[in-house]
Amino acid sequence: MPDLAELARAAVAAAGPGEAVEAYAERTVRTEVEARGGAVEGLTFAESRGLGVRLIVEGRLGYAWAADPSPEEVRATVARARENASLATPDEHHVLPEARPAEPIPELYRPEQASMPTERKVALALELERRTVSLDARVRKVEDVRYGDAVSEVAIVSTTGIDAAYERTDVWCVVVALAERDDETQTGFSFRVGRALPELDHEAVAAEAVERGARMLGARKPPTMRVPIVLDPFAGASFLGVLAGALTAEAVQKQRSLFAGLVGQAVGSPHVTLVDDGRLLAGPAASPFDDEGVPTARTELITRGTLNGFLHDTTTAHRGGTVSTGNARRAGYRSVPSVGISNLYLEPGEPSLGELLALADGGVLIQDVSGVHSGANPISGEFSVGATGLRISGGALGEPLREMTIASTIPEMLRAVTAVGSDLRFFTAVGTPSVLIGEMTVAGR
Amino acid sequence: MLDPDLAAEVLRVARSRGGAFAELYVEERTSTQIRLDDGKIEELTTGLDRGAGVRVARGTSFGYAFSNRLDRDALLAAAQAAAASLEGEPGGVVDLRELDPPVVHEAAEPAGSVPPEAKVAWLREVDEVARGASPYVRQVTASYGDSLQRVLIATSDGRLARETRPRIRLVVQVVAARDGVIQTGFHGPAGLAGVEFLRSHPPAATAEIAARRAIAMLDAVPAPAGEMPVVLAPGMGGVLFHEAVGHPLEADTIAKEASVYRGRLGERLASPLVHGVDDATVPNGWGSFSFDDEGAPAQRTVLFEEGVLRGYLYDRLRAEREGVPSTGNGRRQSYAHPPIPRMTNTAILSGTSRAEDVIADTRRGVYVAALAGGQTNPATGDFVFGCSEAYRIEDGRLTTPVRGVNLIGRAIEVMSAIDAVCDDFDTWEGVCGKDGQSVPVGSGSPTLRIARITVGGTGA
Repeated sequence: MPDLAELARAAVAAAGPGEAVEAYAERTVRTEVEARGGAVEGLTFAESRGLGVRLIVEGRLGYAWAADPSPEEVRATVARARENASLATPDEHHVLPEARPAEPIPELYRPEQASMPTERKVALALELERRTVSLDARVRKVEDVRYGDAVSEVAIVSTTGIDAAYERTDVWCVVVALAERDDETQTGFSFRVGRALPELDHEAVAAEAVERGARMLGARKPPTMRVPIVLDPFAGASFLGVLAGALTAEAVQKQRSLFAGLVGQAVGSPHVTLVDDGRLLAGPAASPFDDEGVPTARTELITRGTLNGFLHDTTTAHRGGTVSTGNARRAGYRSVPSVGISNLYLEPGEPSLGELLALADGGVLIQDVSGVHSGANPISGEFSVGATGLRISGGALGEPLREMTIASTIPEMLRAVTAVGSDLRFFTAVGTPSVLIGEMTVAGR
Repeated sequence: MLDPDLAAEVLRVARSRGGAFAELYVEERTSTQIRLDDGKIEELTTGLDRGAGVRVARGTSFGYAFSNRLDRDALLAAAQAAAASLEGEPGGVVDLRELDPPVVHEAAEPAGSVPPEAKVAWLREVDEVARGASPYVRQVTASYGDSLQRVLIATSDGRLARETRPRIRLVVQVVAARDGVIQTGFHGPAGLAGVEFLRSHPPAATAEIAARRAIAMLDAVPAPAGEMPVVLAPGMGGVLFHEAVGHPLEADTIAKEASVYRGRLGERLASPLVHGVDDATVPNGWGSFSFDDEGAPAQRTVLFEEGVLRGYLYDRLRAEREGVPSTGNGRRQSYAHPPIPRMTNTAILSGTSRAEDVIADTRRGVYVAALAGGQTNPATGDFVFGCSEAYRIEDGRLTTPVRGVNLIGRAIEVMSAIDAVCDDFDTWEGVCGKDGQSVPVGSGSPTLRIARITVGGTGA
C-alpha cells in the first residue's frame, strides 16, 4: 500500500497541461468504547483512507474523491474532477495557494497515544461510568458514556509546489448522566478532549456531569423577567457557533454576514476580544497548515469590541485582494475546502465564575441552550432559543429553571457583554469562558 | 458486489470466538453533488465510497470493525478485530439464503443515466425562477444531489440481503432583503427514486416555495409570547412528531431508561385523534428501503393508535435483548458505523377535519407554515422548535407574518393537546443526526392544531 504522500503525488502527476491540481489524502485509525452497566457496550475499530482531488482549469473548479483508491482509480478520480470542472462556472478567484513552509506543531502527535493498548481505553470508559454513578444518590444511571480516539495523517500535494504532511492524535471522553427524583429526570453533560489518554481527567468529567444534572432537579418555568444573564461556557459555545459563520470572508463577500461593512467599527463591548488561532494546541482544531496547505495563524477578529477583519482561505483572499489567514477547512477528503474557523474563542478575562455571579445578583445562569441552529438567523443575527439554568441569588446558584426562552440579536448581545470570566473552555472548535450579559429578557410563564 | 462464499468465510472468522451472532455489511456508493451559489455553478463533486463493517454481538454488547478495502485480507482482519473482545468457543454459521424484498423502490429513470449537463440545467432553472419571484430576492443557493448505494448484508444465522438504493434531492435556499430586513426561505424535497422524482417535484416549484417563504417573512413582526393555540401546516406536525416523540420511542433510548415513554405501552399519551406510524415501505419514500441495514425486511410499525402508545422502534440488538422481534429500524450512515435504532418515514396519519375550518375556528394563535428544526431531550420530553415561516391567526384568519417564533413544550402534554387533525397529509424530508450518524428520514402529517402550547417570541 503506497503511503499517503505517494497517493497524493500520483494524483497530481495526472494533471494535464494548464491544469492546477491539488490532492488531499487522509488516513484515520479510530477506536471507540461505549460503556454501560459496568460492561463494554460497544467497541469499534476503524481504519479508513481516501483521496480528494481539486482540479482547476481556466478558473473552472471540479472535485472528485474516492475511498482507498487503486492506482487506476486515482487516475479515474482525476478524470472525474476534470469532467466536473468542465461544467462549472469560471471564477478567476479559484486558485491554489503557492507553497509556504509551515512550522510543525510537534505536540500534536503523541506516539504513546498511537500505541495505547485497547485495555487502557476500555478501563477509562468503565471507570468513567463507575465514577459517574457513585457520586450522588440521585445519579445512578448514565445515558451515554464514551471514550474515543483517532490517529490521523494528512498529506497535501499540489501542482503549485505544496508537498506537506502532518500527523495528529486526538482523544475524547463524554458522559451524559441521568439525575432522577420521583418521576423527574434531568440530564447532565460533560466531556474532555486532549491529545493523549492520560490528559482526560475522568474524575472531573464525572463530577461535572453529575453536578449539572442533579442541580436541575425540581426545575420550574420562571415568570417572564428582564435580568442579568451569565452564559456558562456550554451555553456560550452555542452562540459562538452562530457567530462563526458570520466571520468568514465568504459570508461577507456573498452578503450573508451581519458584520459586512463594519470593519473598524465597534461591534461589541470593550470586553469582547475574539480570536481564531489554528496553532493553539489547547484547541481541538490545531494543525500546522490548513486544509489546502497554507500555514495556520492567530487572527484577532474582534479586539476590545472593534471588528478587525474576517477569516480567509486562498479563494476569498484572492477575491478580496488580501492574503489567506490559513482558514481553509474541509470535512475530510470527501469535501471541497472552504473558509471556516479553526479554534475560535472569546479571550478570557480576570473574574472567576463566582465573581461573575456576584455581579449578576437576581439574574440567571444559563447552562444550556437548545434550538440555536434552528432558532438563530445567522444572517440577521436574530435568535430565540430555549434555555435551562439556575437563578442567581446572593452571589450563589439557586433555584433551577427550565422552559425559558431568550430572544435577542447577536449584535445586541455582543454590545451587552459587561464581563468575561477566566474559565475558557473549548467545545469542538469554539471556546468561551463564562460571560456576563447586562440584561436580557427571559420569557417564561 | 461480494461473493457470498467470501461473506460466509468472513462470518466464520467473526464467530471464531463465540458471540450471539455475526454480521457483515458491505457497501458501495457513488454520488454526485452540484451546488449553485450566487448565480454560479460553484461546485461539482463526484464520489466513490466503499467499505465493509463486521459486527459481532454478545448479549448486550458488540464489537465492530470496518475497513474501506474489500479484499479478502482486509475483510478477515476486520472480522478478527470485531471478535477480539470475546473469549468463547467458535459459533456456527448457517448457510446463507437470499431474502426476497418485501417492497422494491425502483428508480424509473436512474440518475446515473442522466448527463451532468441536465443536472446543472435544473439548478440554473431554480436560480432563474427564484430571482424572478420578486425584486427583493437577493441570493439563491441551490444544491442537487444523487447517490446510488448498493448494500449486501449477511448474517451468521443465514440471512443474505441485497439492495440498491437510489436517492435524489434538490434543496433551495433563498435570501430576500428589503430596507435592512433579511429573511431566508428553504425547501428541499427528496426521494428514494430516480430523476422521475423531479417531475412530481419540479425544480421550478421548489424554487417558488423557497422564494415565497423568504419574501413573506420580510413583512414579519416579532412573534407574540405566551401560551396559545398553534396550527401546524401539513408536514410540520410530522417533523415535530419525529423529533419530540419518535426519538424517545427508539429502543436504545428506552433501554437507557432515558425516555419519557419507557414502560408505558398501552397508555394514552396523545390525543385520541393521533394515529402515528413509522413506515419504511412508503413507495419511493426518502426514509424507505427494502431491508434495513441489518437485513431485516422493511415494515410499517404502529406507534400510536387513537393516542394510545402501541410500539417502540427496534434494531436487532435491542429487540433480542427484550425478546421481541426487530421492527426493521436498524440503520446506519455507512459501513463506518454500527447500526442503531432509527426512524424511517414517521407520520401522524390524516384525520377528518378541514384545515380552513380549523383556522376559522381559532380566534387568536399562530399558524406555523414551516419549522426550522429543533432540539429535544428524550429523557424529559422537553423540546424547542424554531419556525422559519409563521403567521398570526386573528379572528379565524391568517394575518401578519411573525418572526422569532419558538414552540416550547413537553412531548406528552403537547401531543395530548392536539384537538384537530385534518385530511391534507403531506411530507417533509430531512437528514436526521444521532450519535454522530446522519440518515435520510421522512416525516409527514396533515394540518394539526395544538390547543395550547408555549410560544416564545419577543412581541406582544
